[in-house]
Amino acid sequence: MKRPRFCPRPAGWLLILGLAALLLAPAPGWGEVLKVTQANQSLYPSADFASTPLTSVSAGEEVNVVEKAGDWYQVEYQGKKGWMPRQAFPTPQTAPKLPLGGILFGGLVGETKSDEVALAGKGFSPEVEAAYRQKHPEMKFAQVDQVEAFKVDEVQFNAFLKEGGLKP
Amino acid sequence: MRRQHIWLLLVLLAPQLVAGCAGVDYVSVAHSGLKVATKAVAASRPISDSEEYYVGRAVAARVLSTYPLYQDQQLTLYVNEVGQAVARKSSRPNPFKGYHFAVLDTTEVNAFACPGGIIFITRGLLKTCTTEDELAAVLAHEVGHVTNKDGINSISKARWTEVLTTIGTEAAKQFAGPAGGLVTLFEGSIDDVFKTIVVNGYSRTAEAAADQEAAVILGRAGYDPGALAALLTKMAEQDKGSGGIFKTHPPTSERLAKVKAAGTEGAPSKEMAARSKRFQSQKL
Repeated sequence: MKRPRFCPRPAGWLLILGLAALLLAPAPGWGEVLKVTQANQSLYPSADFASTPLTSVSAGEEVNVVEKAGDWYQVEYQGKKGWMPRQAFPTPQTAPKLPLGGILFGGLVGETKSDEVALAGKGFSPEVEAAYRQKHPEMKFAQVDQVEAFKVDEVQFNAFLKEGGLKP
Repeated sequence: MRRQHIWLLLVLLAPQLVAGCAGVDYVSVAHSGLKVATKAVAASRPISDSEEYYVGRAVAARVLSTYPLYQDQQLTLYVNEVGQAVARKSSRPNPFKGYHFAVLDTTEVNAFACPGGIIFITRGLLKTCTTEDELAAVLAHEVGHVTNKDGINSISKARWTEVLTTIGTEAAKQFAGPAGGLVTLFEGSIDDVFKTIVVNGYSRTAEAAADQEAAVILGRAGYDPGALAALLTKMAEQDKGSGGIFKTHPPTSERLAKVKAAGTEGAPSKEMAARSKRFQSQKL
């Protein structure tokens, strides 16, 4: 019996299934519960250390990971959705037990932590700052956050310029 | 099943298999090959704006561990308004995360520009100023240091070369090796910048360039370009060769001579009185 033109062969079905598995796979981090391992962490409204924190998050607290985006994780904590830096959480297991990943993709052959990968790739980065903060708890980064969070209202600023005869 | 179909299927499912077997974030794994390639490129480059920003944050944290932050919202707002008025007229109006201004609670007469745009002025220097234009001159001078990247350029060349070497080595070894070395290099970089801005001061050339930039900024912003000379005259009278700004800056008389030679003295504008009035209403 002749197969209709639109009906794929068994190998074609397998290809379609393979593609579907790729497309329907959950996004990385989706639904994951992580425990905060670094002290003095904050939940930020955006993936930006300069934004004013929504609340503080102590070490040992658990958060639901909504999304992982580079150096930041979008999380849910105590009913609030916000962003936390990746270094607040334990180092993800990135080195495969078998070097298959390295063989396929040309990387991760050696035993290396993901933070080391990030450090090597970016130079002075949020991860480096986090490690420095951990090494120097006496440094007043919280006050730096406060200084950076201070905003001048645009309307008030324009009135300030006008009153002083300054150029906008 | 045709052989080429089997191979295609294997290629499609390989990331899933790898991730599933090893509990790996397979997207990260797939991106790792790209990271290897970008690291080789990263091995010869200047300090980026974001790196300057993170160095600046750490330098600011160290400054704030040395001098207490003055927690007066009204004064902080006023200093930020004057600071933003001059910063937006500089030749670098938009650093990585913008400019931020704050007051340090000390009688020492000084101001510090951290790399990336965090600028501190002490209450001692605020009290030395008698007009808003003089305050603007101080802040414009510090903005000049950020514009000229004087802070970040005080990181020793040898140290930055070592940073690049570390990054390059990491790339060559495919991530093997102690990345913690970068943290040590970061620590050393903070020391370099902190010693320059708080202990030793910038070079005479860098100070003269910042004074020149300040005069230009003041004119562009609508402030009196002569305010810098006026403040320097006042400071020259106070210059006893003691600590603070007198320790970290060239002799004030020398700076004043250069500023005057550049012809940056100006006549008071009609709004200067209004500006001075709001300056005098601040609780310094």
